[in-house]
Amino acid sequence: MRLETSDHPTEQSAWVLVSAAAAVLPLSACGGGGDSAAVASSVTLEPGRAVSLNSVSAGKAYPAPTTSAQAARFLLQAQLSASDADISSVQSSGFAKWIQNQIAADQGPTGWDWLNAKGYGDINNTSNFYDHSFPGDYMAWNQLITSPDAARKRMALALSEIFVVSLNGLDFAWRSHAAAQYWDILSKHAFGNYRDLLEAITLNPAMGYYLNTKGNKKADGRGSAPDENYAREVMQLFSIGLVELNQDGSPKLVGGNKVDTYTALDVSEFAKAFTGYDLDLSQNVNTPIAQAGGGVRNIPGTALIRLPMVQVGNNHSPGAINFMGGTLDNSSAPAALKAALDKLFNHANTAPFICKQLIQRLVTSNPSPAYVQRVANVFDNNGSGVRGDLAFVYAAILLDDEARGPSGLNAAVQPEFGKLREPMLRLVQWMRTFGVTSASGAWKIGDLSDLGTKLGQSPLRSPSVFNFFRPGYVPPATALAAGAVAPEFQLVNESSVGGYLNYMQGVIDGGINSSDIKAIYSSEIALALSPTPANPTNLIDRLNLLLCAGQLSAPNALLITTTVGAMKGMDTSTPVNATKTAANLRNRVCAAVLMVMACAEYLVQK
Amino acid sequence: MSSHPTFVPSRRDFLRRSGQLALSGTALPFALNLAAMGEAAALTATAGDPNDYKALVCVFLYGGNDYANTLVTYDDASYDQYSTIRGGGALRTAGGIALAQSALAATELKPAALDVPVDSLGVARKFALNPTMTGLTNLFNTGKMAVQLNVGPLVKPLTRAQYNSSDKVANPRPPQLFSHNDQQSVWQSSSPEGSTIGWGGNIGDLALAPNPVLNTPAQFTCISVTGNAVFLSGDTALQYQVSTGGAIKIKAAVSNAAIYGSSTAASGAMTVSAAMRTILQQTVSHKLENEYNKVTTRAMAAETKVTDALNLTDATATPTAGVPLATIFPTGNSLADQLKMVARLIKGRTVLGAQRQVFMVSIGGFDLHDNLIRDHGGTLGKVSAAMTAFYDATVEMGVAAKVTAFTASDFGRTLASNGDGSDHGWGSHHFVVGGAVNGKKFYGTAPPISVADTKDSGGNYLPANQWHVGQGRLLPSTSVDQYAATLAKWFGVTTTEMPTVLPKIVNFGNLASPARSDYPVDLGFMA
Repeated sequence: MRLETSDHPTEQSAWVLVSAAAAVLPLSACGGGGDSAAVASSVTLEPGRAVSLNSVSAGKAYPAPTTSAQAARFLLQAQLSASDADISSVQSSGFAKWIQNQIAADQGPTGWDWLNAKGYGDINNTSNFYDHSFPGDYMAWNQLITSPDAARKRMALALSEIFVVSLNGLDFAWRSHAAAQYWDILSKHAFGNYRDLLEAITLNPAMGYYLNTKGNKKADGRGSAPDENYAREVMQLFSIGLVELNQDGSPKLVGGNKVDTYTALDVSEFAKAFTGYDLDLSQNVNTPIAQAGGGVRNIPGTALIRLPMVQVGNNHSPGAINFMGGTLDNSSAPAALKAALDKLFNHANTAPFICKQLIQRLVTSNPSPAYVQRVANVFDNNGSGVRGDLAFVYAAILLDDEARGPSGLNAAVQPEFGKLREPMLRLVQWMRTFGVTSASGAWKIGDLSDLGTKLGQSPLRSPSVFNFFRPGYVPPATALAAGAVAPEFQLVNESSVGGYLNYMQGVIDGGINSSDIKAIYSSEIALALSPTPANPTNLIDRLNLLLCAGQLSAPNALLITTTVGAMKGMDTSTPVNATKTAANLRNRVCAAVLMVMACAEYLVQK
Repeated sequence: MSSHPTFVPSRRDFLRRSGQLALSGTALPFALNLAAMGEAAALTATAGDPNDYKALVCVFLYGGNDYANTLVTYDDASYDQYSTIRGGGALRTAGGIALAQSALAATELKPAALDVPVDSLGVARKFALNPTMTGLTNLFNTGKMAVQLNVGPLVKPLTRAQYNSSDKVANPRPPQLFSHNDQQSVWQSSSPEGSTIGWGGNIGDLALAPNPVLNTPAQFTCISVTGNAVFLSGDTALQYQVSTGGAIKIKAAVSNAAIYGSSTAASGAMTVSAAMRTILQQTVSHKLENEYNKVTTRAMAAETKVTDALNLTDATATPTAGVPLATIFPTGNSLADQLKMVARLIKGRTVLGAQRQVFMVSIGGFDLHDNLIRDHGGTLGKVSAAMTAFYDATVEMGVAAKVTAFTASDFGRTLASNGDGSDHGWGSHHFVVGGAVNGKKFYGTAPPISVADTKDSGGNYLPANQWHVGQGRLLPSTSVDQYAATLAKWFGVTTTEMPTVLPKIVNFGNLASPARSDYPVDLGFMA
């Protein structure tokens, strides 16, 4: 389904700007498609949206790339890699049209369906997949590496680092499916509305387990109180943050002091809104599985962790919810949930708080206040009166002059522009750039979190709800300007720098999982001696464009060129071409890729 | 701090200024700066004497540890209050999130008669550790462990009425109470997220400052075996991160390494490994890029030395095989893996050239809003087993009295139940372990068991309700700064230097004006 003429989102609900008090907003259907079979798709796939970005793109100084490097730079921010075809596409369409095309593209296959297609939903398999999280790792990497909707997936990955659920914290039956369902929801709403996303994750079972909304009960009258975990983190991390913000993301100061957005009492009260929820048992079928040690264990069906949580029993906190100086409607559990999420959705902090973090994930660690404000304004109103339209926020981030202009590429002008490319993004980029495939189709890429021997990061594997790194992280003894941050550097230390290089040194040539997942490098091998064996600038130029958007320093590009040029494969020996073996040509490419991916100009994406 | 009239912040200011100078590219050598300051040596030691050694080891319990089921109130009267609040069963059996009283008998902490703790109401109390914590129970009862009661971040001493006061200038609260990331940062550095200087790093600065011979190279003064944490970052001292497998050698940068079939280059060109060494250690003008290369450069400089040090305890090392530690560390225990690495580095301290060191290790899994009973004991058991093995290793190495380990955590939790767990709190109880600890004793004041908010007719909180701020979230009666200052003093930090390490210490004890003898700078748990 596609709306051909309307600028409005095709979400079930369009969140029209209205005053919070007068808002009568429809609740969105989220998550479950209502099917009971284990093979059912987890979410109703989000169809593409035909939108016009004119309201965002108007007046921009850099509407289209003038070089292939500019196109690649845009692509590496907007999605997960830059291919020759992508670069041509952006060059011919311009930036805004390219984004419109991505928003218009349907959501790709879900992680849930992939798990089932690979047999991980087989309840009778003796590997007890329901007790393991490794299928979740395979699923996450596969989604990032093979999905056709790479722009949507890039946005979903960014969202997964704000609205964090981690496989590390899931220890119940069908945990990998639960992670897939959560991921699919992020993908579904990546170009949808923030308010729908907020509600969908609030009622999602994985989140329910992770932050304890599942089973959260009203006070028992003997001293217990509702669980505060979700109430606290949905405010601190998912919506408004700890202190009041200006629209440009800077903290409001009163008498020189920051102003807290909420009190401890607000948290205790807000927790009432999230009581009474538990898993939806309506479609559940248990399967008795004989256990090795004797006896039988009842394993639930996957529907249990697919369907949104529902009110179960009489566990919702009654009575007034006194919150932030007012009272939330608690006439019923759904009314309370709606009032609670609307309150956060309409809070003045939400636009700058969420938008600044999305800019940090996609473009730069230290956006100017004006950049944050421009994007936050689009969050507040997409140009058609809709608040929270994430597709327009995504476009506003990428089309902004600060993202597109040349000053960010000039270290003498902006020595802190850009961001450290996350280790997981480096691997995904390498895979997609060189068309890496899994010969068996199994895509067994596991948890790469070990910092000494692997990447020190893996998708959906954050150590806590505070993500792999904090948006305010400042490296110790830093030369950065006062107030500047470098979030991704929280992953950088004397172990992880070597762990990454050693891991990539193996992967670049040998691949993953006994070479099942391996790069062929046909286009690159064709350039291994080009234009001359001693000076393969065409090879280095290609890698520089695709991996670094042409941002390698001239000295490093030259160093890599001459170093590769000195490797076997030169035609200077006698007889000529004696060393021009396939292995030698491949070695040249591998060495070039490793050296490029070791350069600071690659590691820091600008 | 403006509230302290006698503190002259010259040293710290100078350190910061010199740091800024360094950033602007006009730095003097650090020793020269200090000579210019004309200050006396901070930490003194006999250079080159391997027996002149001290180490502090911070064991951080990430997630906020539930104090009430870690150090469990055990005497009948207070246990009954605890059981009622936490939903315990009849006849002092387990129930809700309460542990059974009988399960605590084997882990009762038994101070000498004169040292029985008395709570703020004047009532003598008994405590037991979580039933899984047998190792630490034994260390306490043999005098090698002390318990610090109800410690947490404070700007200055605070009553519950002052906490509730609207005058936040006269009665300042620590920033962002109850928030994980911020309280982790406040415990480690006195400031919320974004802080770049921790008190472990400040102590490291002093270890570097007076006598460069003590720690050469400076890199090994502050060592983390967990991730990046602000605790170990000082003005000069930088955290060095080592994995539980040791230092990571960058294989592609090893001289003449065979990389993709190439270990030699045509004449006049670099080998791949030589090119890698150039690429990885460049100084560049983009600040983020340069920041990354700085870390890599440090890693490459340190790797050989750390590996040499660790080879002393590696039977498989070539060419010189070492002798492994005889102490058995538990397996399947990430904290034990980290502490074993600390022990091995201490064993190799002469190779590292370090005589004063601060370490950090950590374990997660404490944010138990749910499944407190199911999960808490297992994690605490790991803490106990790992810290006990570490203590045993220091005995084996003959440095038990030179090494002190202490616990820290984001915050304590509520005493009240949320059904299946507890929520974020503030003060908590912590442990100090080592041969130099005045053990088998409790320090600080035990809080009454209460979740009540009742006041007397005059509007003042009843004494029983004074030491929590709702739902049994403890209002600390000892500050992190006092706890840290006691450790720092043992390490060699002087009273004069203490405010450079712990800026807020000037609001406590005899450093405060007027003095607060009820909040002493030295809590007394260290010899």
